[in-house]
Amino acid sequence: MNRTPRSLNRVLLGLAGLLLLALGAGLVLLSVDPAAASWWQETGPAVMAEGGRILGSTAIPGQTQSWLWPALALAMIVIAVLLVLWIAAQGRGRVDTLIAEYDDEGASGRIAISGAVPEQALREALLKDPDVTSVGVSTWALRNGNGLRVRIVPRQGAAPHLVAADATNLVDALDAALGRSSTVLISLEAGRRYRIGREERVR
Amino acid sequence: MSETTAAPPTESATGRIVRRETHAARTVPAVIAAVLGILLCLYVLLESVLQSLGQEEWLIDPPTFAHWLAGLPRDADPLFLGLAGALIFLAGLWFFLMAVLPGRRARYAIPNPRAAVVVDAEVLASSLARRARLTAGVTSSQVLVTVGRSRVEVRIRPTSGIPVDSDAVRAGVEDELALTGLQPQPEVTVLVSTVGAIGQ
Repeated sequence: MNRTPRSLNRVLLGLAGLLLLALGAGLVLLSVDPAAASWWQETGPAVMAEGGRILGSTAIPGQTQSWLWPALALAMIVIAVLLVLWIAAQGRGRVDTLIAEYDDEGASGRIAISGAVPEQALREALLKDPDVTSVGVSTWALRNGNGLRVRIVPRQGAAPHLVAADATNLVDALDAALGRSSTVLISLEAGRRYRIGREERVR
Repeated sequence: MSETTAAPPTESATGRIVRRETHAARTVPAVIAAVLGILLCLYVLLESVLQSLGQEEWLIDPPTFAHWLAGLPRDADPLFLGLAGALIFLAGLWFFLMAVLPGRRARYAIPNPRAAVVVDAEVLASSLARRARLTAGVTSSQVLVTVGRSRVEVRIRPTSGIPVDSDAVRAGVEDELALTGLQPQPEVTVLVSTVGAIGQ
C-alpha cells in the first residue's frame, strides 16, 4: 500500500540494464571477435583525439584545464542527489492521521481521527477470533485519500475466507462507527511461525 | 494542518491495491542500482574535481584511461576482458529482467465486496492441508500441499495398512478452494504415496 514509484523503478532499472548489457556485450565482442577489435582500433583513437581537441579548446582562460571538468563534477553531484532521492522515495506513504476534516455545518470545527483509532479497535476485535494469532493495522496515504492496511497472521490451517469474512464484518462496523468508509486492504500473511513450526498435535 | 479524507472504497482503488500487493515493487534492485550509481558518480566527481584543479589523479588518470580504452584489446588480457564483459552483461541482464518481468508474488486475491483481500500462498496451503488431513484421516506430518498459480498439489503419505480415498480428498480440497473463490480456480492433483508411514 506504500507509494513506492513502481513505474519509475522499472523504467530506471530497464535503462541501467540496457546500459550494462551494451557495455558488457561490447567488451565481450572486443575480446572475442578480431573484426570488431580492428574496427574499434580504427575508430577509437579518432574519437579520443576529437575528445582531446574539445577539451583543449574549452580551456579556462589563463589556465590549462578545460571548464568541462567542473561541469562534469557538477553533473555528477546532480545525478548523485537524484539517485539519493530515488532511494528515499521507496516505501513511503505511511501516515498517522486517518481523517482530518473541517466542517462548518452546525457547530463548525475540525474533526481529526488518528490512525490509532482503527488500529486499536480492529486489533482488539480481531484478536477475539480464535483463528487469528496476530494483527497489525496501519494507515497509508493513497491517491485520493487515506486507506487502512490490516495485516493478519491466521492460525495455521485456518480457512482464509472465514478470517477475511470476519475482518470484513469488523471493517463494516468500523465504517458505521466512524461515519466514513475508507479503502481497506486485508492481507492474510504467513508469520514466521509458519515456516519454522509444525502444526500442534492436539487440536 | 492539511485536510485529509478517507479514500472511498471504490472498485478501481481496490483493484489497484490488489495488483500492487500481488506484484513486486522492485525496491531491492532499485536500491542496489541507485547505490552503484551513487558510488560511480562520487568517484567520477572526485577525479573531475582533481582534474579541474590541475591536481594529480587519485586512481585513474582520465587521458591515460581514454588512451587505454581507445586501443582496447591491445593492452588487456583477452580472457580478463571477456570475463569482465560477461559479468557486466549478466548484471545488465538481471536489472533488465527485473524491469521487464511481471514479478508476481506468491499471493492470491480473494474476492470481497468491501475490501481488497490478499492471502499468502502459505496460508492457503496450510488451510488446504488441514482439510486434506481431516478428510484422509492422517496426521499433519503426512500431508504436503504446494500451491501454484494454476495447480494445487496434495501429497499424502498414508498410514501403513489404512488406505486413503484420493477422490474424497480431491473433492474436499476442491470444495475448500471453491469457498476461497480464487480466480481462476487452480486444478487439484492428489498424489498418494505407495510407501506408508508406520506407527502414526
